Amino acid sequence: MTTRTATTYQWSARGFVAPGVILVAVLLYLPLLWTVYLSFTHYDGLGDPQWVGLDNYVEMFTDPGFVGSALNTLLWVVGTLIVPVGVGLAIALLTWNLGGGIWLRLPLLIPYALSGIGVGVIWSFILSSGGALDQALAAIGVTDPPRWLIDAPLNTVVMIIAAAWQGVGVNALLFTIGLQSIPKEPLEAARIDGANGLRLFGSILWPMLRPLTAVVVGLSIVASLKTFDIVWSMTKGGPGTVSETLALTMYKDTFVNSDYGLGSAIAVFLTIVTLVASIIYLRQQLSPKNEI
Amino acid sequence: MTSRRTLVTAVAALTVVGAALAGCSGSSGTAGGATTGTLSFYTDKAAWKPDFESLNATSKKDADITVKTTGYSDANQYDAFIKQSFRTSKSPGLFTWHTGDSLKQLVDDGLVAETTDIWAKAVKEGWVSEDLRTSYTFDGKQYCVPMNIAYWVMFYNKKTFDQNDITVPTTWDELNQVAATLKSKGVTPYYQTSQLFTFQWFQHLVASTDPDLYKGLEDGTVKYTDPRIVDVMNTWLDEEKKGWFSDAGSSTDPAVGLKQGDFAMIDFGTWYAGNLAGAGMTTSDYGMFAIPAVNSALDKTPVAVESGPLCVAAKSSQKALGLKYSEWWMSADAQSAWNKAHGDVAFNPKATVSDPALAKIGTEIAGPDYQLYDRFFEAMPTAVVTVALEQFGAFAANPGDPKPFLQKIQDAADKYWASQKK
Repeated sequence: MTTRTATTYQWSARGFVAPGVILVAVLLYLPLLWTVYLSFTHYDGLGDPQWVGLDNYVEMFTDPGFVGSALNTLLWVVGTLIVPVGVGLAIALLTWNLGGGIWLRLPLLIPYALSGIGVGVIWSFILSSGGALDQALAAIGVTDPPRWLIDAPLNTVVMIIAAAWQGVGVNALLFTIGLQSIPKEPLEAARIDGANGLRLFGSILWPMLRPLTAVVVGLSIVASLKTFDIVWSMTKGGPGTVSETLALTMYKDTFVNSDYGLGSAIAVFLTIVTLVASIIYLRQQLSPKNEI
Repeated sequence: MTSRRTLVTAVAALTVVGAALAGCSGSSGTAGGATTGTLSFYTDKAAWKPDFESLNATSKKDADITVKTTGYSDANQYDAFIKQSFRTSKSPGLFTWHTGDSLKQLVDDGLVAETTDIWAKAVKEGWVSEDLRTSYTFDGKQYCVPMNIAYWVMFYNKKTFDQNDITVPTTWDELNQVAATLKSKGVTPYYQTSQLFTFQWFQHLVASTDPDLYKGLEDGTVKYTDPRIVDVMNTWLDEEKKGWFSDAGSSTDPAVGLKQGDFAMIDFGTWYAGNLAGAGMTTSDYGMFAIPAVNSALDKTPVAVESGPLCVAAKSSQKALGLKYSEWWMSADAQSAWNKAHGDVAFNPKATVSDPALAKIGTEIAGPDYQLYDRFFEAMPTAVVTVALEQFGAFAANPGDPKPFLQKIQDAADKYWASQKK
């Protein structure tokens, strides 16, 4: 009787779980496997894919354009860590103990409500040649301003700043939550011992923020590796391909050139890099030996 | 009892998911052979949807067919959708596509319905020129019908020309003189950009220097690194160095730029008249002229033509209906109605073109002094076009030795032509 009840319960549970499992399998696992399969084929979106083995991967790694995109993506990863994460942390540190600090942080959150494309459109208006920034500079006598969106790597740098404008508020918010959740006792003890400013930050705040920093940095790495929308809306990866990221190269190969195989190979490469970077980083940061 | 109920719940849940997924691939539409009714029409020209649907009254009266339009605004997303649709029974009864390499791919795979009979009738009726038929011919048979055509001409700001005592140039030397005069008066002669529409000056310089050279690029017998192509690029470079082109990094709408007099001329398809109207310009503010040939020894002035096809999927459940509509579409009545709704020049010489300025330039270019060639975008293989557009954009942004830019395009061309030999 007991066995019978358990079986019934199990069947019931499986029935309820099944729709979710099937949806995940069909919408996430199958496309992933299909993409991996396509990366070993030549496929133009018509007819059937033709198996070509590792050809797409060989082509990908020997293409100078791919190397340029990989370097730009690396610049995005580093830049995103320095600017939105770094500035977000600085804002949180400077305002978390301040009366009314929320009013300083709140406006920074507003751009987060915008889509990446929206941010791109706004910043294109500011940064394009003869745009708002150039006009403002001309008003103070700068007649030959840099070509913000034309010259590399300046164009990637200004796009990272545009992305930071959007992302810094949410990072500041997360760090503030982290700071506010630090127990008061060790902080007070440190202060009584005379720790202040950098000393307090380096010895107490930073180590105690580590779990949250790990998450913020981890999310930033993943987000920057798949940078697409802001670049697509501001420079389309150009002029030429000088500001192209791997996600843009993947899109162009797949949907503009209809080379689904090569596009899939880049997608697989990007997935592996993102997974490996995330796993290595999070394992290292969140391992028990790093906890205080 | 409990057991049965849970089993029923589980099966019901699975059925819902199954039904949802099946919905993605189910068939629909009018019965196969019907030649009257409502036709499902797909296009990447979402903004033109009201124009297409405004023809329903005329098509209902003439052929008892109305179209229901689904418009995509992202061309790449649209192309992927259409390609995927061929794998299902929902392949469209009518859809817009691109001529050149893209159409050849569909024809090679047997995915679009043949329209040879429709073309034979249209040519016989004088609805279309024999020239245009070649863009739609593969192995002696025709596929799809022209949705539209546009000639690539020079738009100019009449006020700027008048203020600087400039008349419309009729030779290459005169055009260069116009550019030099404008520049000396502080007006930038030509518009250029570093994104998408980066090819037009190159196409004109090559095709009007030597049409055979352009043909050679089309079929891969001429390399982009050929000294004659390098010469053409150096002509362009010279003009860049003289400051004849606008800032390639500007994001100002070119129609607004022309209106404001930021530059005096802009090389675009005749459809750009619609954009200029949108910016508040009328034909008393802007004019059009066919760009003179670089090589004055040519008998006829080459003019780039673009033509977008209307196609019917070979296995569509609405194939008969789509073909019937295609036949009606080519008629003078249909094209007059389309022209009234949408503007631009007409491929059907018997159609009435509403805009007198477009009618004038359309008639002029269709006459004996001009020779049409396919626009770069459709004439060259897609993979080459992608790289070429990027490289021309990079050249416009940073004009310099053209060889590295040309080499990158040739690398893409080498890869494409090698894949064709496999």
